[in-house]
Amino acid sequence: MKKILTLLLALSLVLTSVAALADVKQTVVDAKDISHEELVEKAKAEEGTFIVYGNTSRIATAAEDFAALYGITVESSNLKDGEIYTKLDNEIAAKQGADMVMIQDGANLTYYVEDGSLINYVPASVKANVNEKDAMPLVHQYTNKLFIYNNGGDNVPAIKNVWELTDPSMKGNIIFKNPELEKVNMNFLVMLTSDEWSEKLAKAYEELKGEKIELGEYKNAGYKWIAEFLPNCSFGSSDTKIAEEVSQETATGKIGLFVLSKLRSSSVLTENLTVAQYDATEKGYVVEPFAGFMYPIYTLISSAAGRPYTAMLFIEYLMSQEGFKPWGKSIGAYSSNTAILPLEGDLGLDVWRETLVIEDPEFVLDAGDDVRTFVSKFLQ
Amino acid sequence: MLETKSFTQKGDTGKQNRICLSRLLGLMRSWFSKPANIILLFFLIALVLLTLYPLVTMLGEMFIVHNNERSAVRSLGLKKGDFTFFHFERLLLMLSDGGSMGITRSNSWIQFYQPLFNTLIVSLASSFIAIFFGGVVSFLVTRTNIKCKRFISGVFVFPYIMPAWTLALFWQNFFKNVEIGLGTSNGILASVFGIFMPEWFVYGAFPISVVLGLHYAPFAYILIGGILRNMDANLEEAATMLKTPRSRIIWRITLPIVKPAMLSTFLLVLASSMSAYSVPVFLGSPVKFYMLSTKMKSLMDTASGQAYIIATVMILFGVSILMLNQKVTNSRKQFTTVTGKSGQVSLIDLKGARYVLAGILVVVLLFVAVVPLITFALESFIIKAGDYSISNMTLDFWIGRDLQYLEQGDNSGILLSPKVWNALGNSLLLAISCSVVAGTCGILVGYGVARRRGSKLANWVNSLSFFPYLMPSLAFGAIYLALSYRVPWLRGFLLLAIAGSIKYLPFASRSGISTMLQLSGEIEEAALIMGVPWWKRMLKIIFPIQKSSFLSGYLLPMVSCMRELSLFVLLVPTSNALLTTMLMQYSEKGWAQFGNAINLLIIFVVTLITVLVNKLTGASIDKGVGA
Repeated sequence: MKKILTLLLALSLVLTSVAALADVKQTVVDAKDISHEELVEKAKAEEGTFIVYGNTSRIATAAEDFAALYGITVESSNLKDGEIYTKLDNEIAAKQGADMVMIQDGANLTYYVEDGSLINYVPASVKANVNEKDAMPLVHQYTNKLFIYNNGGDNVPAIKNVWELTDPSMKGNIIFKNPELEKVNMNFLVMLTSDEWSEKLAKAYEELKGEKIELGEYKNAGYKWIAEFLPNCSFGSSDTKIAEEVSQETATGKIGLFVLSKLRSSSVLTENLTVAQYDATEKGYVVEPFAGFMYPIYTLISSAAGRPYTAMLFIEYLMSQEGFKPWGKSIGAYSSNTAILPLEGDLGLDVWRETLVIEDPEFVLDAGDDVRTFVSKFLQ
Repeated sequence: MLETKSFTQKGDTGKQNRICLSRLLGLMRSWFSKPANIILLFFLIALVLLTLYPLVTMLGEMFIVHNNERSAVRSLGLKKGDFTFFHFERLLLMLSDGGSMGITRSNSWIQFYQPLFNTLIVSLASSFIAIFFGGVVSFLVTRTNIKCKRFISGVFVFPYIMPAWTLALFWQNFFKNVEIGLGTSNGILASVFGIFMPEWFVYGAFPISVVLGLHYAPFAYILIGGILRNMDANLEEAATMLKTPRSRIIWRITLPIVKPAMLSTFLLVLASSMSAYSVPVFLGSPVKFYMLSTKMKSLMDTASGQAYIIATVMILFGVSILMLNQKVTNSRKQFTTVTGKSGQVSLIDLKGARYVLAGILVVVLLFVAVVPLITFALESFIIKAGDYSISNMTLDFWIGRDLQYLEQGDNSGILLSPKVWNALGNSLLLAISCSVVAGTCGILVGYGVARRRGSKLANWVNSLSFFPYLMPSLAFGAIYLALSYRVPWLRGFLLLAIAGSIKYLPFASRSGISTMLQLSGEIEEAALIMGVPWWKRMLKIIFPIQKSSFLSGYLLPMVSCMRELSLFVLLVPTSNALLTTMLMQYSEKGWAQFGNAINLLIIFVVTLITVLVNKLTGASIDKGVGA
């Protein structure tokens, strides 16, 4: 009898959970064509505080503006992506927590979308302006990390080919955030071992050295580049810190690979810095075969959402010109809404797509474990 | 006949049963009539639920597949939640690099064995530095006629009040130069004096040990100093009358008496240093020097199972020291230092050295406790980094309005920002709650353990009350986060307060136990004979006698809580909830001036509270040693 009761209880719990999951998903599916006015009405009718997590600090400004516009109480938290995933794991299991997230690391995200933990929603108002590739899961914006160097002194590392960074003379002159501390950095290294990028790297090697690449014990040119690049790197703890350090008067000969938008920080001496790709565009050459990397920041609804309509309304707002303002005010952030143009003086998303390494979640999931183990050898 | 006998036997058995039962009841009544027993039983149950359960949960995490490990175990056909030994194999047994680079390039070596070795070196060195520095200074202040006691006593606790990373940052900013580390900029020493320190001095094991040692030296100072001040002078007087040389008195009387405090300090500093995260990040990462804590943090996001194994290893080391500590306090040696008799401690006359030693100490303390504050203040005034001219300075980051320095974020100085005041209120409320709960529990645990010393129950409670300290903050926070979703009422502020109180109970219980162990039973016995109830004995006799030591049991959790980050980072509803989480966010975003101002605000508030406590109660965090 006891066993039967326990089984029944467990079954009812499972069914309730499935029902709760299905509820949010169904609500989102049913709402895909409703008008903006209807969405606002339904969002305002929802009870409780709207909670959103984001791995970008500017989410606070967007949330405040959104709250002021619609008179909805919003609680935003700026967390690191690992922290967001940890919170989500618990919240989704408990069916309560944040309503919406802005998050990076597409490879890890794949699992959450596949198992229904996070629900995709593309607002009808922007559907026509979002590329198919950026719609599932919905990319809110792209962020780029670029080779940016100190332009002082007589040993300016104005690189034209990334193999220059593997030269022994560059030892200690490259500053990068430890790839173990941020997954998108690791994903970038993983992508270099893909067929596409390893071939491009092999070609770039030949162009620079005038001879075919000899792989030795490495599987491909991507692995070889990583093995020769990482030992030349010093690791900073945050991109802001790296930007500040490379910009110092005394940091001649240094080059960093960090978030372009960090140049907006008042503590960075931007006059001492040159963005390799900007220089290349100005002088009419390209940095072979890439000038850095770029990764998407996605926006999705949690299956544990208590306010799904508000989440949809906020996504609609974030995808709009108005909602993108907190990011669009400075360089280094690119909306996936093609109607929102990049800031004057910056390059467009189409240029960056050509010149930067972009993560492919599928490949990162396939090759990630091998490459991570390989990379860790060079972090010591 | 048989029936009668059997009836009689039945009657006897029933009688025997009744006697047994009444004896049992009597025993129970007698057992429960002792407050110490009730206290210990209560804490045993509470601590099993609040510390052992999270610990067991954590151990279980080492054997299952987490969300972030799904891609790593995909080839093994495992899915989320499956049981596996994969994490152990990957972290501990992967001793080949698969190429020609040898064991030192293998995954296990890099992720575990090398960081383990580094951690042991740093933890032992910082424990030694903390005990030596804190112990020597507390001895000089309590037992000699050194000059400037009030200053030394007041300033010595500063490095502990400050978040550890601020001292690390100061060390880096002072000593860094273009020839080492990132090699991008010169610190104060290189740019002003042209002195270029070698890399081992600025980054790696040496500076991490020194910074952690200095940061935790106040533990030694408070715990050892408290005992030195309260110890029975009769012991030393007797030795002096017998013309025992001063060095022999110190070696044979003073040192054995402070031994429990030294061991407690060793235990506290070792466990803290092992789980310290921010200091190794600042002073280790630039030269690729990693410790278990830094590896645990990075693995927590990518391979949680391996991170929990590291957390367990850290706990195992802590437990070993705890057992050693237990052995010493449970031995037959008595450490009662406060008895019904009073005595005046005679001070050692340092003669001329009292000025020299005071001078050296003042300079060292100014360097580690005051100069960093001045640099933080300066950094909170300047607009453009590195330019210290008056024209580049402003008070805007403190009291400005409609600021345009940041494109996003705060547009008013921290003192005019409602967000900051709100966070300050939350931090204060949390720190006070944790301190009241942990401090009171610490005294009760101390009373119970001391009065039932040597009993199994006392030993269990003693060990359990220290357990939370051995659990790395980050892992502790992650476990409490998971717990909060299983227990409906464990949410919001209550979650933070319970996690903080449990995490800092060890400070209070250590202080409570060592203080109670010094108290002779005779003090309470007199009142007991007079029929004074237990609560009155606690409030009117025990507490007043050891007030200074007890208050340190309240103040240590408060101070620690005010500057705690790792524990609360996952538990706060928003990053603006507490001052420390806000500070971290500001620092990460490069809003250095706001960050420095908030850091100073934290230090100011904590100092203000300790001063207020001093004025109101006559005791202070450094009271044990005060003039």
